[in-house]
This record gives sequence, structure tokens and C-alpha cells, in this order.
Amino acid sequence: MARAQTDHMDVRAFADEDLIPMMARGDARAFETLYERHSGAAYSLAYRMVGKQALAEDVIQEAFLNLWRSGAHYDRGRGSVRTWILGIVHHRAIDALRRNSVHAKRRSDDDTAAERLESPERVEEDVARRDEASIVRGAMDVLPADQLKVIELAYFGGFTHTEIADMLESPIGTVKGRMRLGLKKMREALAHGAVEA
Amino acid sequence: MNVGPDHERWADAAGVYVLGALPTDECAAYEDHLAACPTCRAETEELRVAAQALPLSAPAMRPPPALKSRIMAEVEREAELLASASGAPRRAPEPKRRRFNFSLRGVIPAVGLACAALVAGAFGGAALFGSSSPQTIPFESTISNTSAELEMTDDGATIVANNLPLPPEGKVYMVWIQKPGQAPEPTSALFTPRRDGSATASVTGDMDAVETVLVNTEPIGGSTTPTSQPVLTASVS
Repeated sequence: MARAQTDHMDVRAFADEDLIPMMARGDARAFETLYERHSGAAYSLAYRMVGKQALAEDVIQEAFLNLWRSGAHYDRGRGSVRTWILGIVHHRAIDALRRNSVHAKRRSDDDTAAERLESPERVEEDVARRDEASIVRGAMDVLPADQLKVIELAYFGGFTHTEIADMLESPIGTVKGRMRLGLKKMREALAHGAVEA
Repeated sequence: MNVGPDHERWADAAGVYVLGALPTDECAAYEDHLAACPTCRAETEELRVAAQALPLSAPAMRPPPALKSRIMAEVEREAELLASASGAPRRAPEPKRRRFNFSLRGVIPAVGLACAALVAGAFGGAALFGSSSPQTIPFESTISNTSAELEMTDDGATIVANNLPLPPEGKVYMVWIQKPGQAPEPTSALFTPRRDGSATASVTGDMDAVETVLVNTEPIGGSTTPTSQPVLTASVS
């Protein structure tokens, strides 16, 4: 199997979708470029979910090594490379939450403040990311509190709908309905904000 | 729009599904339903747009530079091995050295949770995972023409498979370990075979009292409990 080990500077000129097949052929520089582009969003998501720096690092390491080893499975018809990578990170973070049972032990944001390394707005990509984050948060802000809560518990907390129903002492049907309605409203708000993942 | 069979059961499940909040077994059942229900498929795709935007709301943070160094060290190592293997003839398979009553106890150092590293590709396991004489256990395979062996060395356990077909779209192969009387435990070994059907995966960690090593197919990213029957099974004790 031919291996194209491309110069890093050259590789940076390629689009994500073009880097995937290069990475699948064993090009470490292509992987490194994808890491540099997406590790910030990936780490932010992992930390948001697991709430601990060491565990977030484990999640990112597992997710990106998984990406390196199974890059051939990317299907551009199902979304952007970033969406795909963040999906892998989300899966891994849920696994980590369930494996380590950190739900109960997770500390509040205030408790973890000392571990946070807020990303300074140094590069263009960071600024773009913060603009997107602002739009997404705006779309989340339009949701009633009960809809936002079940969505956050599910997506960021890694809880199943039955666990959330138990936690909130609500019927499962109510929880499912809130998730569906909340996401529909978010979808509409995002359409107005014109942001896509 | 048409609805699939059992639509009533899943009428409100699209939001739960795209948020990743369906339990693993229900998730597989819902995906079966999606394949037959255009209405649920359309709603799932609509809600997925919102769910996929959620990670962008997380407070922006920068990963530690040391994390990149650790990941790149592993990637560079594997890239070098892959490059070496691509230029060299494949190693002939070693003769089987099945040993009955073999126990992993004390052979593999415990390092806490089972962890795994995987290298799928056209390079031999022995080149990667230690040089001491491996002990080889054949896998039982449910896939015709697929053969696989579990090699046990001082450094860990390696799965070497040949003629392994690509997993279904959206799936990867996943390695599980099972202790007597217990449910299979997940490892982080997820892999896909190379074009020639060869694959190599390694599992290290707390393998104490492991009785069986299993390989099945799971959604990309893996699962916490098996969602499909094993295609490879090796009895190690």
C-alpha cells in the first residue's frame, strides 16, 4: 500500500474531506492537520461532558486515535468532517461517563474553575468558533427551561431518557416530548441564525 | 408520508435518538425501524441538525499541548510501522501453538481499566507487540473464510485476523472481554480491516480471569454493551 507522507505545510492547504483519504492511507501529517483544526472543539465538548481535565484528555485521545484508525469510514453524505469527529467524541464521552460512573461525582462548574484553560481568541478559527457558539447558545436560549434541561441532561450529561425521567420524576413520554419539541425549536432558531454544525 | 411497521412505538423517539439518549439495545431497534419508516427518518434528519449544533455551545477550551504530543507519538509510531509493512513482504502466519488451560492471570500487568490500542493493517502482530514467544489461540469464526488468532505475549494480547470483510456501513469491529459468569466488558479496541482483509488489534490492561475474547460489530465509536452477536470468539481459559 502506497503511503503518502506529505509535508505539513502542504497538507494544511487541503480541505478536511480531502485529508480523510490521505489519513486513511497512513499519512500522519494529514491526521495532525485534522487534529489541529478540530481538537479545540472536540476538547471543549469532552470537557463540557465529563467535567474533569484528565478524563477529557482520555476521551480525546481515544476519539482521535479511533479517527486515525478508522478514517476510511467517513461518509461525506452524512455531514461535515467536524460533525463526524464531534460525533465520535460524544460517543466516547458517553462511554467514559457510563464506564467511570462520574455522573454522581461530577463537580459543579465553580468547583472545576481551577482546571479550566479557557481558549483565548488568538486565531481566526477561534473567533469563528465563538461566533458559532454564540448563535447556538442563542438558539438554546429560546427554549423553555424544561425543554433545555432534558436536552442538556441527555446530550451533555450522557443520561438515557429513562434515567432523566427518573431524575425529574416525570413520565417518560413527557421527557421524550420535551426533547423533540426543544430540538424542533432549536432547529428553527438555527435556521434563522444560519449556522450549521 | 408513509410510516413503517411499529411506528406508534417509536413516534416520539427521534429526539431521544439524535441526543444519544436511547439505551443501546433500543438504539439498535430504532435504527431497524428507521430503515423501514420514511416519516421517522425525515424527522430524525431534521432534529439531527439541532443536535449536531449542540457541541458548538460548549465553552471554548484549548487542549493541553502535551495531549497532542501523546497522540502524535502513537500516530507516528503506527504510521512508521504501516510504511515499513507496505514495503516488505507480509510475514507468513506463524504455526498455531494452542495451549489449553492457559490463564492470563499474572501474565499481563494490571493497569486499571481495560484499555486497548489497535493497529489495523498489513503488518504482523509480532512486530508490534513484544518479542517473547507468543501463545496462540484460534478464534471460532461465524464468517466463512475468515480466520483469526489471539496471540498472548508478555506485553499483552493481539488479535490477528485474515479475510475479514468490511463491517456494515456505519459500523466497526469491536473487541470485548468476558469473565466467567459475567457480561462482556467493552475495550477501546475498535477496528476495520485493510483492503486485503487483514487486521491486527491489541488489548492490554486488567485481563485477570478473562475467559473469552469476543469481536462483534458496533456503531462507530463503540458501545457499552454488545448490540450484535460476536463474529469471532476465542476461549482463553
